[in-house]
Amino acid sequence: MTALRPALRPARRNWRVRLRRDRSLVLMALPAVLLLLVFNYVPLFGLVTAFQEYDPLSGVSGSAWVGLHQFERLFGDPLFWSAVRNTLYLSFVQLVLFFPVPVALALLLNSVLSDRIRNFIQSVVYLPHFFSWVLAITIFQQMLGGAGVLNQFLRSHDIGTWDVMTNPDTFALLVTSQVIWKEAGWGIIVFLAALAAINTDLYEAAAADGAGRWRRLWHITLPGLRGVIVLMLVLRLGNALTVGFEQFLIQRYAVGHDTADVLDTFAFYYGIATNDYSYGAAAGLFKSIISLLLIWGANKLAHAFGEDGLYRA
Amino acid sequence: MTDTLTIARTEEHTVAPRPPRRRRRGARRSWEEPPTAAGEAAKGVTLGGVLLVVLVPLWIVVVTSLSTQGSVNRAGGLVIWPDELTFAAYRVMLEDGTVRTALLVSLGITAVGTLVSMVVSVLCAYGLSRSRSFAHRFLLTLLIVTMFVNGGLIPTFLVVTGLGGYGQWWSLVLPSAVSVFNILILRAFYSSTSADLVEAARIDGAGDWRILWSIVLPTSRAVTAVIALFYGVGYWNSFFNVMLYLPTDSEKWPLQYVLYTYVSRGNGMPGSVNQGFGDALSQTAPLSLQMAVVVLTLVPLLIVYPFVQKHFRTGVLTGAIKG
Amino acid sequence: MGIELNRRSFLNAAATAAALAAAGPLLSACGGGGAQRAGVNSESGLRAALPAHVPLSSIKPDIASIAGGPDALTDPGFLTYPANRVATVPGVPGKGGRYSAVVPLWGTIPPADNAFYQAMDKALGIRLEMKPADGNTYNTIVSTMTAAKRLPDWITLPSWWNPNFNTGGLAGSQLADLTPFLSGDNVKKYPNLAAIPTAAWRAGAWGDKIYGIPSFSSGFAITGTTFYRRDVLEARGITADQVKSADDLMNLGKELTDAKAGVWAFDDLYTYLYTSFGAPLKWKVDNGKLVHLFQTDEWFEALDWLHRLATAGYVHPDALAGDQAGTTRFYAGKVLIAGGGTGAWNLADHQNGVAANPAYRRGAFDFFTADGKGTPRVDMGPATSIVSYLNANLKPEQVEELLAVANYLAAPFGSAEYTMVNFGVEGTHFTTEGGVPAPTEAGRKEVQAQTYPFLASPAQVISNQTAPNVTKDLAAWQAANVKALAKPVFWGMNVSMPQAQATAEAAQAVMDTVKDCYHGKKKVQDVKDAVATWKGSGGGDRLIAWMDENVLQKHGTGQ
Repeated sequence: MTALRPALRPARRNWRVRLRRDRSLVLMALPAVLLLLVFNYVPLFGLVTAFQEYDPLSGVSGSAWVGLHQFERLFGDPLFWSAVRNTLYLSFVQLVLFFPVPVALALLLNSVLSDRIRNFIQSVVYLPHFFSWVLAITIFQQMLGGAGVLNQFLRSHDIGTWDVMTNPDTFALLVTSQVIWKEAGWGIIVFLAALAAINTDLYEAAAADGAGRWRRLWHITLPGLRGVIVLMLVLRLGNALTVGFEQFLIQRYAVGHDTADVLDTFAFYYGIATNDYSYGAAAGLFKSIISLLLIWGANKLAHAFGEDGLYRA
Repeated sequence: MTDTLTIARTEEHTVAPRPPRRRRRGARRSWEEPPTAAGEAAKGVTLGGVLLVVLVPLWIVVVTSLSTQGSVNRAGGLVIWPDELTFAAYRVMLEDGTVRTALLVSLGITAVGTLVSMVVSVLCAYGLSRSRSFAHRFLLTLLIVTMFVNGGLIPTFLVVTGLGGYGQWWSLVLPSAVSVFNILILRAFYSSTSADLVEAARIDGAGDWRILWSIVLPTSRAVTAVIALFYGVGYWNSFFNVMLYLPTDSEKWPLQYVLYTYVSRGNGMPGSVNQGFGDALSQTAPLSLQMAVVVLTLVPLLIVYPFVQKHFRTGVLTGAIKG
Repeated sequence: MGIELNRRSFLNAAATAAALAAAGPLLSACGGGGAQRAGVNSESGLRAALPAHVPLSSIKPDIASIAGGPDALTDPGFLTYPANRVATVPGVPGKGGRYSAVVPLWGTIPPADNAFYQAMDKALGIRLEMKPADGNTYNTIVSTMTAAKRLPDWITLPSWWNPNFNTGGLAGSQLADLTPFLSGDNVKKYPNLAAIPTAAWRAGAWGDKIYGIPSFSSGFAITGTTFYRRDVLEARGITADQVKSADDLMNLGKELTDAKAGVWAFDDLYTYLYTSFGAPLKWKVDNGKLVHLFQTDEWFEALDWLHRLATAGYVHPDALAGDQAGTTRFYAGKVLIAGGGTGAWNLADHQNGVAANPAYRRGAFDFFTADGKGTPRVDMGPATSIVSYLNANLKPEQVEELLAVANYLAAPFGSAEYTMVNFGVEGTHFTTEGGVPAPTEAGRKEVQAQTYPFLASPAQVISNQTAPNVTKDLAAWQAANVKALAKPVFWGMNVSMPQAQATAEAAQAVMDTVKDCYHGKKKVQDVKDAVATWKGSGGGDRLIAWMDENVLQKHGTGQ
C-alpha cells in the first residue's frame, strides 16, 4: 500500500498514509499517553501559582497575581544561587564518581566465573537500596561519626580524630560515597539485563579471531552496553538539577545549611515549610525549565556523537 | 513468517557449535583464556570489599531487630554486638491480624498494578521503538516532559478525587501506572537488540502485534523481568498515594503503610515537646521494631529476586538468525 | 529516628513537595471564597465568648495542683488509679446520630470497627466512625481534605500548626462556630467541658469566637526544660541545686565529658535554654515598643554561650551532626544532660531507662537565670496543643449532640467515663491488678493507641500508675518551678497573619543559621548578618510593623 503513491520525499510521506501504516504502533502507545495526559498534564494548571502570591485558602482564582515577582525574589536570593551551585557541583561529582560504578561493577560481576558466587553477590549488593536514607546515614554516623566506631578506636589509641561526617569541605565526597554505597548495587541491574542481551556467539567468534579478554570487552561488551549507557547518561544530564532530597534534608545541619542545600531542599525549606508556596513553585518551575533545556541539549550532544540518545536523530 | 519463528524457537537445538547451556559450576567457556592469578586476586579483593560494606550494615540491622529494648538502650543506638536477643519485635507485627489483611492487599495491588503497568509500558515502548514511525517523536517528547515538569501535589489530588478516586484502590495504581523512565529503558532495548529479527519478520508480513508477542518479548526477557521488578517494588512499597487517597481507610491499607504506623510512633510529633499525651504516645517506637520492619521489607525481595536473576543468563534467542 | 520505607514514594513525595508550591488547596476551584485571615483574639471581645470555668470536685488527686502566676498551675498527681470510678454523665449523651471523626495517631492504627469502637458507640449513643490517620503526615492529609472540601464531621487540628496552616481562615469557612453553645454559662450544660480551664479554650478561639474543643490541656505548658541523669550525677555527688547559672552548667560539661569513654555531657540544649538568658520566647514589649527575639542582646548572648559549649567539645558529636535520637543516647548514658519536652517524663520513659540500667532516674534542673542573679522566668506556651473542631455543615442540634459526646469524653481522670475512654470495657479490654487497670491483649490492640481523647479530654494529670516515684519526681519539680511561669506577650491571641508575614515569622534562613551556630559551625556574627538580611528582604521589619499595628496597638499584649 505504501507504493500507491510514489513519494517525492520518501521521508516525509503524506501523514495519512504514515498514520495508516503505523496505526497499530500509535494505538499501542495510546494507553500510556492517555494516563499521562490525565494524571500528569491536567494537573499542570497548578503551575500558575508561581506567578501569584498564592494563599492556600483563597485558591488560584482568589490569590493575587504578581507577575514575575517571585522570580525576581528568587534571582535576588543568595541562598537560591548557593543551592544552584551546590546542586550542579554535586551533580558533577556524582557524574564522575558514581555514574561509572554500576557499569564497572556489572562488568566485574559478569566476569566472575562461578555461578554460585556471582548469584550470591548479585542478590546481596542491591539490598542497601531498600534502606531508607535515615537508616543509611545513621549507619554512616555510627561507623564514621565523631563518636562512631572509627573515631572511638582512634581516640582509644590516642591518634587524633577524623572528622568525616561534619566536614563541609569534603561533604560532596561524603554524599557521593553514600550514594555509591546505597545505589550502586541497584544500578547494576539494568546493565546486567543489557549484558544478557549480548549475543555470546560474538564472543566466541572474536576469540576464534584471536581477540583477547580486553579487546572483547572493548569491541563487544561495551558496544553492547552503549545504548543503555548513553540513555542513562542523557537522563542523568537532564536530571543534573536533581541530586536527591532526603539525604540532604537529614545531613543539612551536620555541615551547615549553605553547604547542604540543593534545589529541592531549598524549595522545601523556603517554599513549603514556611508556606511561601509561590516562591517554592517559582523555584520548581525554574528547575523544570532548566531540566528540559538540559535534556534537550544532552540529547543533541548524543546525536552529535552519532548516538541515539532518547530517540534516533 | 512462521518459518522464521520456528527457527527462532528451535535454534538452540539446531545450531551446532554452541556450547551446552548448563555448564559445570565455575567452568569457563572453551574459548575463554585461563584467568591470571593477579587478575583473580584483584577481583577477589574488590568483590570481598563490596560484600563487606554491604553485609556489615545488614548484620547491624538484623542484630538490632533481634535485640531487647534494654539492649538497644544500653547501646544508645543501633546494636553492633548482640547482647540480649528476642523475637519480640517480629512477634508484635506477625501476630497482628491487620498485618495479615494488609499483606493480602499488598499482594493484590502489586500483582494488578504491575500487570497494568507492564501492559501499558511494553505496548508504549514497542509502539515508540520504530524510528520514523508516525508521531513517535512528538509522543516521546510528550512522555519525557512529564519527567521534569509536574503540576504539584494538590492539583493531582484534585484530578484523582474528581474522577472519584478518593478511598478507591485504583488511586494507588492508575496515577502512578506509567513510569516514563521504565518505558525509555524498554524502548532502548526493543529498538536495538532485536532489530534484525523484527526486520525479517516484517518482510515475512507479520503485523506489529504479532512481532511484539512472538519476537520482541521472548528475546528481551531480561529487561522485561527487570522492569517488572522496578514496577513491582514500586507498588509493593506504595506509600505516598496511600497517604493521599486512603489516609483514613485503615482496612484498605497495604502492608507497608501498616508497618509504617508501627514505627511512626512519637516521630516528628512537635507536641511531644510540649505535652505528654499520656503514656502510649510520648515514647518513640523501639529501634528494634524499626529494624524489624526494614528486615520484613527485604524478605519479599530476597524471595523474588532469584526469579529475576534467572533471566540474566546470556541471550537465548538473540543470535538465532545470525547464528 | 523514622524509617522511610519506600524510596520511590519518598522521591515522589520530594518531587511533589517541591511543587506542592503549585499545590496548596485550590479551594476556589471548588467555589471557595476569599481567605479570612483577620482573626486576632482581643481580650475584651474574647472574654464575652469564653466558656465559664466550673471546676469539678468529685475526684481528689493525691498531689493537689499548686497555682503559680495567672493561668499557671501544676498538674494534679495521682499515685494510684481511683478505685471508686464515679459516673459524671447521666444516661447516654447521644441521640443516635451518625458522624465521622478524623484524629491524628502516632502509632499503630487499631482495626476498623473493632469491639472497643462498638462499645464506645453504645456508651455514647451515636454511631461515630473513628478514622485515625498517621500523625507524621497528618498535615498533608488534612491539607488535601480541606482542598477537596472533604472535612469529616469532627476533626483534630493541632495548635502548633498555627499560624502557618491558617486554622483561623478555615474557622471562617469550613468549621462550626461553637460560641452560641459554649460561651459564658451556656457551657454549664456540659459540666465536664466547663471544668476545662478557661486558658485552654483560647487555643481554639479565632476572631473572638469559640471554634475548638481543647484536649490534654495543662496549666504547666512550657516548651521544655533541661533534663539530667539524676542517677549518674547523684552518684558523682552532683545535685540539681548546684546548677544555678550558665557557668555552672558549662563547668559540668567539663567535669562530665569523657570522650574516650564515649560520654559527652550534653545533647542539644538550644530550644530549652535560650530564655534563661532573659530572651523572650518570640516577642516582648519594652516600654511600649514591640521587640522581636532577633532584636534582643540576650538572645545573642545565649547563642554565643551555646556556640562555646559546642566548640568546647562538651556536646555529643551525633547531636552536632543533627542526629535526633538523643533519647536513646540519654538512656545509654552517652549524654547526661539533654533538653526536652516535659511530656518525655513518664512511665514509658522510666521503663525504657530501667531496661538499660536499673538505677535509671530522670531529673530536671530548676529554672535558673544565666547570670545566676534575679528570679528566673519561663514563657508559657498555649494551654493545649490539641484542639478539635466540628464541621460547619452540621445542624445546630447535631452540634449539640456532639458537644454532649465531647462532654462524655472530657470526663475527669478516674471517672467511669474516663476509664471507658482510656481503658475500654473491664474484663474485655483491661483487668484491675493491684488497683491499677492493666490492658488485656484486646485492650493493647484496640484501646491503647488513643483516639477519642484527641476529640476531647479533661485537663492533664500526672499519673504513672506502676511507677509512682516518677509522678512524685515530676510533681515536685513542677511545684518548685511553677512560680517561674509567666505569660508571654500575645499569649493565647491566635494571631492569623497574611502569607508574607507568616513566612517572615518562620524566618527559615535565620533559624538555619542559628542551628549551625549552636552546632559550632557558624559564628554569632553570621547569625547577626542573617538577621540583618531577614529584617530587610526577609520581611522581618514588615512583620514587626504589622504585628505592632494590627495586634499590639489594636488588641494589646494579651498578658
